[in-house]
Amino acid sequence: MEIEEKPYRLVLSIAKWIIPLVFLILSIRMITNTPDYQEPAYQVKGWFGDSSSYQEKSQKSIDKLAQKSRRNIASLESRIDKLKPVKPFIVVNTTENRFSLRNAAGDTIKTGMCSTGKNELLISGTKRIVFKTPKGIFMVRNKQQSRPWIKPDWAFIEDGLPIPSARSSERIDYATLGDYALEIGNGYMLHGTLYQRFLGLPVTHGCVRLGDKDLELIYNTLSKGSKVFIY
Amino acid sequence: MNNKLVFWIVTAVLGVCCIYILTSTVILPVFTKSALPKVVVHTVEEKEKNGKPSKNADDSADTSNGGSSKESVDKLLELKKREFLTQSRLALATEDSNYLVLDLSNKLAILELKGIVLHEAKIVKLTLSNSIKQQHAESLINWASEPFSVKNIEATIPKIVFFEKIAPKDTLEANKMSLEPKITKQGDVLVIMDFQRNLRFIISQSELPDPDGLKAITELRKSYSKLEVSRSLDALTHLNREPIKPQIEIVVSKTDATILYKALPLNPRMILKF
Repeated sequence: MEIEEKPYRLVLSIAKWIIPLVFLILSIRMITNTPDYQEPAYQVKGWFGDSSSYQEKSQKSIDKLAQKSRRNIASLESRIDKLKPVKPFIVVNTTENRFSLRNAAGDTIKTGMCSTGKNELLISGTKRIVFKTPKGIFMVRNKQQSRPWIKPDWAFIEDGLPIPSARSSERIDYATLGDYALEIGNGYMLHGTLYQRFLGLPVTHGCVRLGDKDLELIYNTLSKGSKVFIY
Repeated sequence: MNNKLVFWIVTAVLGVCCIYILTSTVILPVFTKSALPKVVVHTVEEKEKNGKPSKNADDSADTSNGGSSKESVDKLLELKKREFLTQSRLALATEDSNYLVLDLSNKLAILELKGIVLHEAKIVKLTLSNSIKQQHAESLINWASEPFSVKNIEATIPKIVFFEKIAPKDTLEANKMSLEPKITKQGDVLVIMDFQRNLRFIISQSELPDPDGLKAITELRKSYSKLEVSRSLDALTHLNREPIKPQIEIVVSKTDATILYKALPLNPRMILKF
């Protein structure tokens, strides 16, 4: 009987080490399986300690680094300044339908209400015409007083009228744009409106409509080449 | 007897090691990623009042002598922070899209284009996750040194709403159509953006939402927390350490939240200023 029990005891004495072995394997697996951070810039030194690599440097090298950093900041800031407008400019907020006229230094001269695109999709047969104000940075390309509006096709489609020929006098409208118009490209303009009561609401076909007094100030402040920021 | 003692000592030591490693690499990173109670972020004025280094106080860094004191290292870190921020601003200002500058020190969310401030939103409440709060300044600077690009955006409001209109057949039909503008009701806002480097950025409104808005906000939050729980469980079951997910939540007015979301491009980029 004793001869048969020996291998059984041996198995038991080996098996009891399984528990610490499992602990050991688990610990190693947890350490080795810790994923690397995908982004190299994301360094998590703080997780393991609070030391700074700069603290190991001497005062002299820190001073040098500080000087270099200061020079870099000055150079970078001057490069940002060069990107800024050199003339007065206008910022149009299409969500709130407000504008802010600013001088070259960026200080606000006047804020007020305007009307921007109504975000409408006009469906006429197979045609789809979108009325919205484009967003981004634009430039005043042309300034005109009492500019007539040459009605595009959609103006007739919207009114249920037959579309006249390209040079028809029916296309010329002297009242709609108001006293001043500033073209910003692709047929979009900053201009006046007959519907002053709608200022502050999104009602236009993409242009920015302004009140008479505001428009006059904007016309006199902005010049050809002035920036128009729309967001 | 001796054997038994050795067994228990080894088991106990390895058990403690195992629990320690499990806690430090799996449990803690998973649980500490949620925000701690209020984080105090000093404004520039407060820093100046407390005599802490501000961007105008940089000039004194050169004059100190001796070994590298904590003060001079802090000043250098402040400079580095400003340098990286300016570098990021320049990188984004050269592009034609607008971008967000999140000024944590002054509690402002600034929409910029070509270095011009288009819109400034005052942050009513700012919550930073523990993983940001606990980072050492230097690693935080390294982490935020480049602009963040978005990976995924979810929001309770649409970016743009289009009304469809069938063109009238004649002038009679056109005259019947109302001239009055169609105004959409401004929906309640919650925007969740996942940026590179695991940054999660949340914009929510300070105003109480209406029942429909509340439902939409709750659904969006629930879907994200479900995803988080399943990820955490997955990490735990696979004995993986979850990557640290820094989170920033700002509460702004409903109008500002709408403006920020609608004005940002489809793939917005963001700079952190802290």
